[in-house]
Amino acid sequence: MSVLQHLPPGRFIEAAGRGSRQTKHTVQVSFIVMLLMATMALFSANVNADVPNAVPPEGEYSGIHVEQPIEFPHDIHADVNEINCMYCHTYARRSKVAGIPPTSKCMGCHSIIATDKPRIQKLTEYWENKESPKWKKVHDVPDFVHFTHEKHIKRFVIDNEDLQVENVSEVCAFCHGEVKKMTVADKVKPLTMGFCQRCHQANDGPSDCWHCHK
Amino acid sequence: MGWGGVGATLVGCDMPSTVTLEEGKEEVVSYLVPEEFVIPGVGVWYASTCRQCPSGCGIHGRVREGRVLKLEGNPESSINKGRLCQMGQAGLQAHYNPDRISKPQIRRGSSLVDATWEEAYGLIAEKTANISGSKFAWMTGSVSGHQSVLLQAHLESIGSGNHFVHETINNAIWAKVSEDMLGDSNPRIRLDKAQSVLSFGADFLGTWGSPLHFSTEYAKFRTSPRGTLIQVEPNMTLTGANADLWVASKPGTEGALALGIANQLVSKHSLSMSGLPSSVQSLIRSYTMDETVTATGVDADRIADIASTLKRRSPSVVLAGASAQGHEHGYQCVAAAMVLNIILGNIGETIESNGEFAYASMAPVSGNTQSLVAFSQAAADKRFDVVFFSGVNPVYTAPKSLGLQENMANIPFKVVFSHFNDETTAMADVVLPLASGEEDWGTHVAPYQAGVGEISIQQPLMEPLSKDTRGFGDILLTLLKKRKESAYEGFADYYAYLRNAFSTIPAEHKNGASDDQFWADVLSAGLIDVGVTDKPLNVTAVEFNMPKELGNSSDMVLAPSARLGFWDGRHANLPWLQEAPDQISKVVWDSWAELHPSTAKKIGVKEGDMVKIASASGEINVKVYIYKGVHPDVIAVPLGQGHDAGFSRYAKDRGVNSLSILDPKVDKMTGELALYSTNVKVTKAAKTDDVLVRFGGSETQIGRKLVSTVSADVYERTEGGDHVA
Repeated sequence: MSVLQHLPPGRFIEAAGRGSRQTKHTVQVSFIVMLLMATMALFSANVNADVPNAVPPEGEYSGIHVEQPIEFPHDIHADVNEINCMYCHTYARRSKVAGIPPTSKCMGCHSIIATDKPRIQKLTEYWENKESPKWKKVHDVPDFVHFTHEKHIKRFVIDNEDLQVENVSEVCAFCHGEVKKMTVADKVKPLTMGFCQRCHQANDGPSDCWHCHK
Repeated sequence: MGWGGVGATLVGCDMPSTVTLEEGKEEVVSYLVPEEFVIPGVGVWYASTCRQCPSGCGIHGRVREGRVLKLEGNPESSINKGRLCQMGQAGLQAHYNPDRISKPQIRRGSSLVDATWEEAYGLIAEKTANISGSKFAWMTGSVSGHQSVLLQAHLESIGSGNHFVHETINNAIWAKVSEDMLGDSNPRIRLDKAQSVLSFGADFLGTWGSPLHFSTEYAKFRTSPRGTLIQVEPNMTLTGANADLWVASKPGTEGALALGIANQLVSKHSLSMSGLPSSVQSLIRSYTMDETVTATGVDADRIADIASTLKRRSPSVVLAGASAQGHEHGYQCVAAAMVLNIILGNIGETIESNGEFAYASMAPVSGNTQSLVAFSQAAADKRFDVVFFSGVNPVYTAPKSLGLQENMANIPFKVVFSHFNDETTAMADVVLPLASGEEDWGTHVAPYQAGVGEISIQQPLMEPLSKDTRGFGDILLTLLKKRKESAYEGFADYYAYLRNAFSTIPAEHKNGASDDQFWADVLSAGLIDVGVTDKPLNVTAVEFNMPKELGNSSDMVLAPSARLGFWDGRHANLPWLQEAPDQISKVVWDSWAELHPSTAKKIGVKEGDMVKIASASGEINVKVYIYKGVHPDVIAVPLGQGHDAGFSRYAKDRGVNSLSILDPKVDKMTGELALYSTNVKVTKAAKTDDVLVRFGGSETQIGRKLVSTVSADVYERTEGGDHVA
């Protein structure tokens, strides 16, 4: 049953531009799956209403809390002030890595905003010394795994016509958890092969070995 | 049951692994202020110049997150046209090498100890303060561009004219013969226009001239109609392995063979000798077929065939390289090859003028071995008090018989600029750690350019890995400032010097661009063509003779052949090149001696056995590789290995240095070391446990039809039609 639950609903197949490739058989299968999904939705809280055309990956993880050079408050930025994740992590949709925003970007706001706060004063000190803070990496995959943010953002955000781009944090949350409720990010998703694999099955992602191990 | 299997797999994939659980271990540092076009995770390509050999190929380096990750050829460069050889690719390993020197070192008693730049500069200033010009010398590898300008300025500031430019792999005699007979030391070779090439040991696909350039020209030569390549050499090179006809020559007989072919062209194919001095005409007449066969041991049919091929497949070009020039009569051997070009009418057809680089002070100064011999003698005569070395490792490349190592002791103060500790830094009083080729600024003018005058820009592809290394130009500038502050005080560093130099370049090269735009364009392209001045060829065939007796020794001859890989030994510390199987023997991580099967049988050795190679000047023990592509009287031991322990963890205790046992013979006309003229006795030595590791198990196809062949005769008889001879 848990396997069936992750088969993609037919709507996703169309949304991904593959409608023309469906045979009658797959349409029927999709229809049956949709019925099943509708039934199961009553019992399952897994389908996230904020990200249409997507089945969020399953799995939780409890990572250690990593001390950072500055306790960056994601909550103040993303939740209180509703700044879009992709405003600072602008590389996520352009590159395999999401990237830490350049220090110049922080200073773009913080040479004026909240300059009396100790964290901002520490940031300013870095800036004036022409240094960037040495952040500790929290989310990572092994070197033999090729993961690209760009493709995932394309699939769940750029090509996802039904998604309001304001809700992009819900897509980020698939793998990073609710960062907007955290200060510095903690790892709350396992990011293991099984975690990736189940999501790829559920969302019709590629399953060939070489897609990730190349 | 089936579900259970799937479940088990998924659990396996969810097992925590140490690599995925390393939260908070690695650091991730953002850019402070990135360039607008920089995206983390996406590479940006910057143009620069390869420094792995003197050819001066243009390169592109892929840079990501401030690290250079991959080098490729710059398609804009007329030299390599986007290609890059294995040595160039391995430039990254020179850059990231764990054995790089990261601090200046100063000799304290018998050992070198780490020091600061202030201490090193202070000591140099003290030792050179009141030095007379004649007591000071520079020894460098081939040099060009603004480094050459500053180096000359430094010599002038001391009042010295002693600049020894040394390269073991060189075209010095070819250049001298070309200068004497064509009036241009660096003529343009049109492989692309030639229908046939006769090469006396010129390994133009591997080590002769500008290998990548000639590789692309060779590709044109081989396409419709397909040119014919004939290679004459004592042991097969990469070029020889590509030849249609490969002729094994006894070292030193190349000149005789060239004259014999000339004789055939004149007597059988009615080509004219007019224009040649009468002494050379009678020399050619004296090399009748019988005489040539006796002198060279090459079959009469083969000699006739080579002559008729050159005549039939015209225009041709005749080249001469290391194995033809490496004799006491090396000049004559190369001159005989050039005479063939004159008789065949190749001058102006396939051998053209290259013009002359317009800015003499930046023009390439190419190294040779005559300088090594002269330097060793000067050191023996105690002529120098202070010598600076850069881009050379003479203690390794000099045959032991020159006594260079002992003579170095006569130089009281030796400063070595280097990336690595090696045999020469081991004798230094001060070692200055250089920035790598990927960290430094420079301008380079390639020694061989096909009719253009490109200045290739070397720009850093990343920040220096170590804060205590310095660029070559930066060090020169600092030294100059200490001697002539007023002339150089305006330049904060070598970058500022180069930037200024490009501001003052004549406006005709700027295409109307603003100064900043011009500089950006030059950096982006990686080069600028400033043109050449005309310098037409002027054929003046010189007189020369050819010794009939070649010592007639019953001993064998040692061939220290060079490879595009370790080059003259400078790259033995790069694991990629150690790991890359040799082009001929497929040996990895080792030295070997190439021996003809008949000779091996005579000596009683088989592959992997150890032989002792003894010359009058020393002996080496090395494992045998048995191969038909070597003359029966020759034992070939390629260059590169046999370094002292200090050089590198990768080259340590590995193989032998065949240069070390060469006799101190030189070409009598040019003073170049006669590298292919050392007689050796080869005897079987005690076998060790060490095995000869080779890729590829067999020299034959063992009937597997990997490459099917059919003789022309059979093809004509069974398939009909014409065949191309």
